[in-house]
Amino acid sequence: MSDGALLLLPLGIAWFSALVLAPLDGRRRSVGLAAVAALGASLTAWVWLATRVWRSGSIEMFAGNWGPGVGIRLRADALGVAFALVSIAVLLVALAFEVFGRVHERALPELVLFMATGLTGIFLAGDIFNFYVFFEIAMISSFVLASYGTEDRQVRAALTFTLVNVLGSVVFLSGIASLYHITGSLDMDTVAIRVAAAPTGSVLPVAVLIFIAFGLKLGLFPFHTWVPLVYRDTWPAVAAILSGALANIGSYGLLRFGAGLMPRELAMTSGGIIVLGSLGILYGAIQAIGARTAREVVAWSAIGQAGYILVAIGIGGKIGLEIAVLYALINALNKLTLFLTIGLRGWLVGASFALAAFSVAGVPPTAGFFGKLGLLRATIAHGNITLVVLVIVGGSLSLLYMFLLYQRDYWARPEEGPASPLSSRLMVLALAACIVAVGIWPEPLLALSARAAAVLTGGGA
Amino acid sequence: MILAMAIGIGALFGSGAFLLMKRDLIRVVGGVILISNAINLFIIAAGLSRGLEPIYPIEPGSHVSDPLVQALVLTAIVITFGTTAVLLGLIYRIYHGARPVDPVSSASRAESGVDDPEAG
Repeated sequence: MSDGALLLLPLGIAWFSALVLAPLDGRRRSVGLAAVAALGASLTAWVWLATRVWRSGSIEMFAGNWGPGVGIRLRADALGVAFALVSIAVLLVALAFEVFGRVHERALPELVLFMATGLTGIFLAGDIFNFYVFFEIAMISSFVLASYGTEDRQVRAALTFTLVNVLGSVVFLSGIASLYHITGSLDMDTVAIRVAAAPTGSVLPVAVLIFIAFGLKLGLFPFHTWVPLVYRDTWPAVAAILSGALANIGSYGLLRFGAGLMPRELAMTSGGIIVLGSLGILYGAIQAIGARTAREVVAWSAIGQAGYILVAIGIGGKIGLEIAVLYALINALNKLTLFLTIGLRGWLVGASFALAAFSVAGVPPTAGFFGKLGLLRATIAHGNITLVVLVIVGGSLSLLYMFLLYQRDYWARPEEGPASPLSSRLMVLALAACIVAVGIWPEPLLALSARAAAVLTGGGA
Repeated sequence: MILAMAIGIGALFGSGAFLLMKRDLIRVVGGVILISNAINLFIIAAGLSRGLEPIYPIEPGSHVSDPLVQALVLTAIVITFGTTAVLLGLIYRIYHGARPVDPVSSASRAESGVDDPEAG
């Protein structure tokens, strides 16, 4: 199969199946299973694409056989592939979790497929406006998904989520229009070259706009206000999708637009970015210790974890970006497991939760250990002793809040209510096993993050 | 022309921001619509150029206006439309409370934030 067609395969599968399934009732088991199969096929196509990118470097094509500079560029490189594999896998697990449990609303499987379309497009986009269009496809499906559930509070959470994120999209769109105004191009490579030649004074405000937009998606500290409410009130599988898949847009966008398109502005503001990230780590951890319910603890923890990613991006350079990618991917896996586990009852659930909690705190032998270790390495390389202390203190605080929560919810509490279906419990156990497996054999993930960071620092694909 | 665009965008954005502060959800949606359209105008302004209409055949050496922003804004308008529709749908569901609410579970859930009455 030609490289161009291979690029379109994951996108086409998700998009086409979403359109075909859209008129059908997603509550029927057969429709749900078809959606799971389609998403699985899309993920398989990504894996295929990933092995191709791994062996022979990044693949790109121009839509409609237009030449370079005219056509819209689609591109798969190590950075996009790394984020895509994790995000689509998160979507697949969360969808399977609902389908094997019970689907409450007819549109769920189709919406997850549309979100997969949007995310796939984002990770393939080599053009800033195309990035925006797929970004909106993912966002609009997430607005509807957020209202999924059986109670009124999910609709209210969805309204908050929608209003905040629509404003975020508006900020992002104005950033893109400004980039076009400065560079006269929408193609990422051309933009990167022309931005480097443009005066900093005009690029810096644009960089701030784009930083705010992605900060909102990721739930970074000063833009986090929607996170606790939305992660608390949305349905567990939806919270898992929002924090495990959709939030990746934020970290990917910061890396692609910050480190990829405007590296000079990123380096200029790195001090401020590290301070913001540090504040986020401390603020998230302190709020998580004070939070009352499991969902709130995990939501505040998500804000703290976003702070770690931001610190890594602020440190920058090869090692900082590598750790940012690694941390974002591991964080997605942790959040998926935590949000799915919290709603469940019965044995095996406590064990899965404990493993995911260990991973958030960075205790070996879980995946999170390598995230924290890498971050420690990056801060030591950066040579700032305050940051080293901050990472250690932040890690200790996350151990504290996670185990306060574990103690409250799994030790001190008598088992009440019927146990959840065995299939759901086995699924979260499998996720926890994945976290441990990555913790024991982290080389593939480390190598993938190193390749992804090399895309940004110009060390080849 | 640039001044007129700037004033127009500023006025639209300002009135949208004002409406966003209201408690009435329909006005809030009105605010979102105004702000989105301010940004659509902003896109046009980003590629504002004087010239002939960019339609083939173009005489060699003649100056045409930038057609790309027109295509961009067309896409942005469609996206604005979709977002607005979703927002209105959500608000409809909030006003009409379309969901049957189970009083016991919702009371206990509202108490604890999740489905765990023992927490806190």
